[in-house]
Amino acid sequence: MIVKVHRLGRALFGALRAPMSRAFESAGNPLNHLGALTVFFLWIVLISGIWLLIFFRTSVSGAFESVEYLTREQWYLGGIMRSLHRYASDGAIITILVHMVKEFVFNRYRGNRWFSWVTGVPLVWIVFILGITGYWLVWDELAQFVAISSAELIDRIPIFTDSMAGNFLSDELLSNRFFTLMAFLHLIGLPIFIVFGIWLHIFRLTRPRINPPRRMMAATLLAMLVLSAIYPAISHEQASLAMAPEVLRLDWFYLHVYPLIRIWSPGWVWVLLVGVSSIIVILPWAPRQEKESVALVTLEYCNGCERCVDDCPFGAVEMVPRTDGTTYSHQASVDPDLCVSCGICVGACPTAMPFRSQGALLPGIDMPDRTAAGLRDAIVSAGVDRSSPHVIAFGCRDDGQIKAMEAAGHRVVTVNCMGQLPPSYIDFALSRGHADGVMLLGCRDGNCSYRFGAAWTEQRIARQRDPMLRGRVDASRVALGWRAPWSDIGDAVQKYEAFVASLKP
Amino acid sequence: MKRLAEISMYAAFAAFVGLLSVWPPYTNLREDRAIISLVFSHAGKRVSECRQLSQEELNELPPNMRTMNDCPRERHPVRVELRSGTEVLYRATLQPSGIWADGKASIYQRIDVPSGTHELFVGVNDSGGADFDFEKAMAIDLAPRRNLLVQFDEQTSEILIR
Repeated sequence: MIVKVHRLGRALFGALRAPMSRAFESAGNPLNHLGALTVFFLWIVLISGIWLLIFFRTSVSGAFESVEYLTREQWYLGGIMRSLHRYASDGAIITILVHMVKEFVFNRYRGNRWFSWVTGVPLVWIVFILGITGYWLVWDELAQFVAISSAELIDRIPIFTDSMAGNFLSDELLSNRFFTLMAFLHLIGLPIFIVFGIWLHIFRLTRPRINPPRRMMAATLLAMLVLSAIYPAISHEQASLAMAPEVLRLDWFYLHVYPLIRIWSPGWVWVLLVGVSSIIVILPWAPRQEKESVALVTLEYCNGCERCVDDCPFGAVEMVPRTDGTTYSHQASVDPDLCVSCGICVGACPTAMPFRSQGALLPGIDMPDRTAAGLRDAIVSAGVDRSSPHVIAFGCRDDGQIKAMEAAGHRVVTVNCMGQLPPSYIDFALSRGHADGVMLLGCRDGNCSYRFGAAWTEQRIARQRDPMLRGRVDASRVALGWRAPWSDIGDAVQKYEAFVASLKP
Repeated sequence: MKRLAEISMYAAFAAFVGLLSVWPPYTNLREDRAIISLVFSHAGKRVSECRQLSQEELNELPPNMRTMNDCPRERHPVRVELRSGTEVLYRATLQPSGIWADGKASIYQRIDVPSGTHELFVGVNDSGGADFDFEKAMAIDLAPRRNLLVQFDEQTSEILIR
């Protein structure tokens, strides 16, 4: 069932890929920066919120009047800030939801990733509560609806004797202090939880990307500014508890659940919210087909160089004091709970050397399910039945391109992640005559399943990161499928055939 | 061409944000309707009266627990009924809160009614009897969107309609 949902989701993201790749380079594709983009939206919310706070008054009449002042009198700055505050909050909901769906359908929530997945759930709750309390503070008819409906929802929790909704019976009974409390929650309490939640969310990631590329930040801010100028956020009529609001312009990003309180009941809305959240939390432990293998250290060949530690995207490898009595001071050690089986550590290992002529090809760190020796054998095998020019394609197991290539009659050497392929294997394929060219079909758009596989591969081939591709290799014979010019060419088969054609004399 | 496509993507995103932040409108209350909010917290009478303990019973108790009266904590549920003419708008028996059923019974109920004139009747029973202990009847003209408040004032034991 889950696998079917994954497939369906991947198909949907696949359908999005074509228009997105027409508009963006892989590095500038917002779909590859959803988490960082959310943080950027929160920055906009924070900065615009500080401006609103300067003018905001925490009293029943003052709240509405101060927001109206910002919107009408100070429209050129306060009004824009208010609109930015709202639209960036809405934008954050979109990026959060797409981020969640994407991580789910691409199976990036299991194993070591359970921690980020699970800590993301309360973070989403806090973001929603933050948005809802923000609407409350405006104290217009929408705020009245939100306040009373929220109170009805909270009243359903059987811990309070008196009804919280009873606080909203008449304008005379409504306390200014209630606004002080809500303002405290919205301005200080919840934002602190969000900062802590984000820290926890990325706690297990090495080199977390907190900020999107500058160009994307500028474009996003500009888009929000233009929207704020063209279509500024405005209030409803001032709240009056003696009258019930009639028709409301709901912000469906935050308030979609509120009509359900009226249609169903607060109790059933709780069942829905808690049920969906619980299902999301337990997803990482749902049954799956196979158990992933864990990187294995062979001490005899580990020289303690630390490259695997540097390159592991999930901090699964660490250096510990040597245990085998050799002169090296440290050795690599893999935490099975953190390893996601990507093999990027193998690609970083200088002892993963296919040219080795004596003894078995055993690197210091290896993947039991797809060994360095097996990878060399696959290259040799792929080079046997050759046409001219002959190109060996390497494909990432998590990307759907391998099947299409095989259906077109092209052999593909599969790797767990493109980062698993040490550059020496490319040298081996070309210099030993197994191929005239090498094409790397990593995850499309450089959107690596294991975060850094595509980036590390690019840097190794560009001779900017150890282990580097040797200088003798002709770079024109190595094609990165996710990079220009190949990224602009249709599917994997078309890329491959175009590359083959480019090598013809 | 790529730049144009990029601008279009950001514009589409902004348009989507702007659209869904206000549209489609939600009808909270139809224009010819009004709301009656029935809201109060009230402790029912005790199920049984306090009883004076005999000297023998007092002697059997530990010295620190000797009080002259034994007062059972449990309270009656509060029965409430709201009618418009002969139509029952709301009728419920509210259980006392607390694990010993000794707390207040609470109600918060929004009732969506047609606007116009209503012959309202409110009855509250807090003693477990068949009849209402407190009643109030009033003719009231509810304007569209009006939110009428029906409460029970514990201090004066009076039903308030305002």
